[in-house]
Amino acid sequence: MRNQVKILGELGSMILIAAITALVGTILVLAVGADTGKAFGAFFSGILGSFYSFTEVLVRATPLILAGLGVAVAFQARFFNIGAEGQLYMGAIGATWAGLYLPAMPLYLHLGIAMMAGFLLGGIWAVIPGFLKSQYRIPEVINTIMFNYIAINIVGILVRTVMANKTSPLPMSPRLSDDLHLPFLADPTRLHAGLLVALVSAVLVYLFLYKTTWGFELRAVGNNPRASSCSGISVKKTIVISSLISGGLAGLAGGSEILGVHGRLMEGISPEFGYIAIIVALLGRNHPFGVVLAGVGIAALQIGATTMQRRAGVPASISLIIMGLLVVLILGRQYWIKSRST
Amino acid sequence: MPLLCMKQVCKSFGKVQANQKVNLTVERGEIHALLGENGAGKTTLMNILYGIYQPDSGSILMDDQPVSISSPGEAISLKIGMVHQHFMLVPTLSVSQNITLGIKERGYPFTDRKEVDRKITRVSREYGLDIDPTAIIEDLSVGVLQRVEIIKLLYHQAELLILDEPTAVLTPQETENLFAVLKRLKEDGRSIIIITHRIAEVQSIADRVTVLRDGARVGCDNIGNVGEARLSEMMIGRQLDTAVRETSHQNRLNEAAVLSLENVSLNGRNVNILSKLTLELKPGEILGLAGVDGNGQKELAEVIVGIRRPDSGKVLFEGNDVTILGVRKRKRIGMAYVPDDRHHDGLILDMDLSSNLILNAHDQPPFARFHFLNDQVRRRHAEQTITDYQVKTPGVGTLVRYLSGGNQQKIILARELDGIPKLIVASQPTRGLDIGAEEFVNKLLLAQRDRGAGILLISADLDQLIKLSDRIAVIFDGRITGLLNNHAGIDLAEIGLKMAGVA
Repeated sequence: MRNQVKILGELGSMILIAAITALVGTILVLAVGADTGKAFGAFFSGILGSFYSFTEVLVRATPLILAGLGVAVAFQARFFNIGAEGQLYMGAIGATWAGLYLPAMPLYLHLGIAMMAGFLLGGIWAVIPGFLKSQYRIPEVINTIMFNYIAINIVGILVRTVMANKTSPLPMSPRLSDDLHLPFLADPTRLHAGLLVALVSAVLVYLFLYKTTWGFELRAVGNNPRASSCSGISVKKTIVISSLISGGLAGLAGGSEILGVHGRLMEGISPEFGYIAIIVALLGRNHPFGVVLAGVGIAALQIGATTMQRRAGVPASISLIIMGLLVVLILGRQYWIKSRST
Repeated sequence: MPLLCMKQVCKSFGKVQANQKVNLTVERGEIHALLGENGAGKTTLMNILYGIYQPDSGSILMDDQPVSISSPGEAISLKIGMVHQHFMLVPTLSVSQNITLGIKERGYPFTDRKEVDRKITRVSREYGLDIDPTAIIEDLSVGVLQRVEIIKLLYHQAELLILDEPTAVLTPQETENLFAVLKRLKEDGRSIIIITHRIAEVQSIADRVTVLRDGARVGCDNIGNVGEARLSEMMIGRQLDTAVRETSHQNRLNEAAVLSLENVSLNGRNVNILSKLTLELKPGEILGLAGVDGNGQKELAEVIVGIRRPDSGKVLFEGNDVTILGVRKRKRIGMAYVPDDRHHDGLILDMDLSSNLILNAHDQPPFARFHFLNDQVRRRHAEQTITDYQVKTPGVGTLVRYLSGGNQQKIILARELDGIPKLIVASQPTRGLDIGAEEFVNKLLLAQRDRGAGILLISADLDQLIKLSDRIAVIFDGRITGLLNNHAGIDLAEIGLKMAGVA
């Protein structure tokens, strides 16, 4: 009985949140003087109007899911990793480096190693703040944010110096060989095997979190570090492991963007994927399958908004406003539920 | 006409009654001790007086005028001041800035700091509270910080000073100085309420004492009329007729010790939490550890099970030195720990019952193989435990948060006793439980003893200790002040005095 009331309440609040965002979206569209019918028509046809547009949503969802998984793993361990953006860029550096400079080898091995390099560099980038938190209690929120700036500017330096394309004045690395590309899944669209990497990662993260002793410890530490250490779980070790996996997943997002989309390292390969990943993790309630759904949902929102901008002249910034609003509403809802249940 | 009169004050937090119809009267120019154990409701009552909490019912009269104090600001304007147990000072500001915090001095915002400093120096000289007004708070020691807090009250011209456990962080010399200052303030006509759980302190400084227990007033008397024994009895609440000990079992006091502590010391920031503590526990006995809360019991328990490392001394388990082993290893070799703080130390409230039951065996067969959890085994284990321990729960997947206190404690006990431990450290295992659950826990401990486990039972409840223990050790100020065999004619007065550190 009590459970039913609770489920109804949750459902109701979700519907309310959806209604509020729809209302605000409409008001914003009206405010810029656009035709709402045309705008929303463009929005939905941008997402589901054609097979091509739908694959575009999935291409956009791939890095969001990977980085979102990373953020979710960290959040479950109460390691507030705000640095997925930086970890993604480090992963991109790793994948590009492995793609450009490793000796010739079979294609799939090369792709695998390049993705692993992305995982490794992203992981290292998160383990540093993880180590600083677990050993010296230095707040990871600040460190991971600062590491974003460092990583992004390392990319800036690399593409102008050691990894610069000697034949072009533009700040970017040489192009990877045309073969060295994650397999396309549906020619002629841009959909690439990065999506499979993301989905497999979600399953692996699920197994790791809920079916292994390490995941058990990670969740225990995230829920109550004190009780965990009182029963003999090493909180420090757990935080370091969770930060490594978290950064590694964000690094995979970077690797997948390099090997699946851009084919070279340059500045701005991530339109804030790493930050939006926080929203994805939040919407997905830090559960790997929730993250997959949220990643696709947010990607759809963004792609839809871009189409709306192109066809109905409504600024795509609306999607960012909607995302911000969603976060505030969801956090507010959690507070509201908590304050009523105690 | 008394300065302060609190009448029939009630305050509850959720289901917990923190204060029940408490009366308190304080005269002008007296030092009034508010005595009681941790959780007796002393601080709550004073927080009501200081305007931090609002009472559910009851009234407060100052000089026979009813007053309502809805904020600390109002309390200050009524000339009431409070020094909290944890000082409320801004570490990066100077002494004088802290003292005038929140006051608009003449010339504000361009306060004449030198003038203020002179005024502070004048006040501090008057009462022998030596202080440098320009010093920065974070550079000062705890004893000096307390002086700053007291000068702050005097600067605000408080007539009624409330001090919450003021000696908890002081060295004996600092305590002596503090008491001298308090006496001078009293001669000056000010009234002081001192919150404490130390009987010796009450005796040396207070004129009158009010004793609280479980949120209710147990008594109030002039200090000359009540002896130490009477005070400890009032505070701990031992009823004279209960506590019948079950004496049937044979203890094994001549066997080798399961646990020995050798000169274990643990240093806090400014005080020694444990000082050269030595203790032995035999298999098949319950060693009761009596003492007023906060004398090092919790830290001792944590040193034994490996949550804390002692600064010096040794912990021996079955004759082997385990001082450097971590919690996990110690639990594997046969230690169990029932912590006093279920919610923070014992359980992961937002994980389910079955997970909490395997918290320290989760990576051992049959619960896990090659680091993969076996959900089925875990669930079956939980179902079995629910039957064995009569846990009332909707199911094994219920979050532990939603269980009652007694059922939560059963989860901890079931988990800790699952490995058939040789040593059980049980800290306040029945605190906050209803009578039925308490009985269940007591029986369980006796059964474990009969099985041959050595049990260190830490409890503030003397009744429980007398009912269950084979021997009773008394801890005061991080030292064992007495070790008695528990027999029918055990001298309760002696235990009480040792708990108070006066014998």
